[in-house]
Amino acid sequence: MTERTYEVAHLDELDSFPVDEEGLVWRPVRRRLGIRAFGTNAYTAEKAGDRVVEEHFERDGHEELYLVAKGRATFTLGDEEIDASAGTFVYATPGTKRGAVAAEPETTIVAFGAKPGVPHEISGWEGIFVALGHLKKGEEDKGRQAMAAAIAERPNDWQGQYNAACFESLTGNKDEAIAHLQRAIELDPKAREFAQKDTDFDWLRDDPEFPA
Amino acid sequence: MSGTAKITDLAIQISSGPRWAMVRTHFGIGAFGVNAYVADEPGIAVIGEHDELGDLAGRHEELYFVASGHATFTVDGNEIDAPAGTFVFVRDPAAKRGAIATEAGTAVVIAGGKPGEAFTPSAWERSAPALNYFATRDYDKAIEEFERLRAEAPDDPGLLYNLACAESLAGRATDAVEHLSRAVELDPDFRRLAEKDSDFDPIRAKPEFASAVAGESDPGGSGA
Repeated sequence: MTERTYEVAHLDELDSFPVDEEGLVWRPVRRRLGIRAFGTNAYTAEKAGDRVVEEHFERDGHEELYLVAKGRATFTLGDEEIDASAGTFVYATPGTKRGAVAAEPETTIVAFGAKPGVPHEISGWEGIFVALGHLKKGEEDKGRQAMAAAIAERPNDWQGQYNAACFESLTGNKDEAIAHLQRAIELDPKAREFAQKDTDFDWLRDDPEFPA
Repeated sequence: MSGTAKITDLAIQISSGPRWAMVRTHFGIGAFGVNAYVADEPGIAVIGEHDELGDLAGRHEELYFVASGHATFTVDGNEIDAPAGTFVFVRDPAAKRGAIATEAGTAVVIAGGKPGEAFTPSAWERSAPALNYFATRDYDKAIEEFERLRAEAPDDPGLLYNLACAESLAGRATDAVEHLSRAVELDPDFRRLAEKDSDFDPIRAKPEFASAVAGESDPGGSGA
């Protein structure tokens, strides 16, 4: 298949996937456009007070640049709180804890990221977020298909199997959940530690077959 | 170091055309290219027409994001209406691309890199620290900075070209002609740029200038 020379998309046309219970919505840009040299995504918050950048460190060493594309956000950058209106860049080194909450409705952030000194590798979480996003929207079948695709892309990553276990647990499929969790633990024993604290598995925890 | 900045505060006027926000160099980003251009009036070429194949370009795939205002992009002859919030991703380094602002205050952010390779800054961006002084018309300081940068890259034609611009504007005609001639010798594509560049107006009447710019083509590379 011949790749197109260029692609065009407006923020309003991007897919929307809810990420958490704080209102964070992920709008995939890199996936939509087929960008390979660096990561880029948009995040939107429907109302003031909703989260618009997840609070996190970049454990895989990515530098990240955020642009407030629309609205206004309150960023936390290390110990600092920043009022960021539309047109503001916020740059975070990998070790800096960062996050943002919308200060106006319809706030949109565009994020760019990559790791210095190495070719860009597409983040494994993207496919998992698609799957879990579908589930949050009540699209279980689409979510299951997306999770299978995410696992097929990275068959040796424990995170795919682990999140598939969460997915199946949340949809009440005990056998599938346990099978995926067992596979995740085989790939990396630290999956067991995560499962021991993960509320997604609460209803399965006392089952004799539960592997964590 | 982590930090924040507004596009409009970073964007400086270096020559005629859009203001340039040197985003990557401002924050010291090493993993990908990123810059922004701001057109204060409609009709300005907010993204100069270029491809990513020239000696100064990085063969990058480039993502353009219209952060404010409204622009008309042209990619390989196809016109794209791009209001604020539009992404235009140009995958093919050979594609000719450019954009004209259709509203005042149009800002376009560009991110770029080469798939499968660790990011290295494009050669054209080497001049960035010295170009900052153009905004304050402190051309002597710019020349000092260019000379410092030349110690690292003596035969960088883009750097020599920009040095010649600063020397022309500082009234150092002989030096300007010498460095412009050297830039054109290393990369004949600079001839056409020099013909239209108002930075050379102070020396344009000199016969030495005319002999340095007798040619045509495009230097390319004006992005991330």
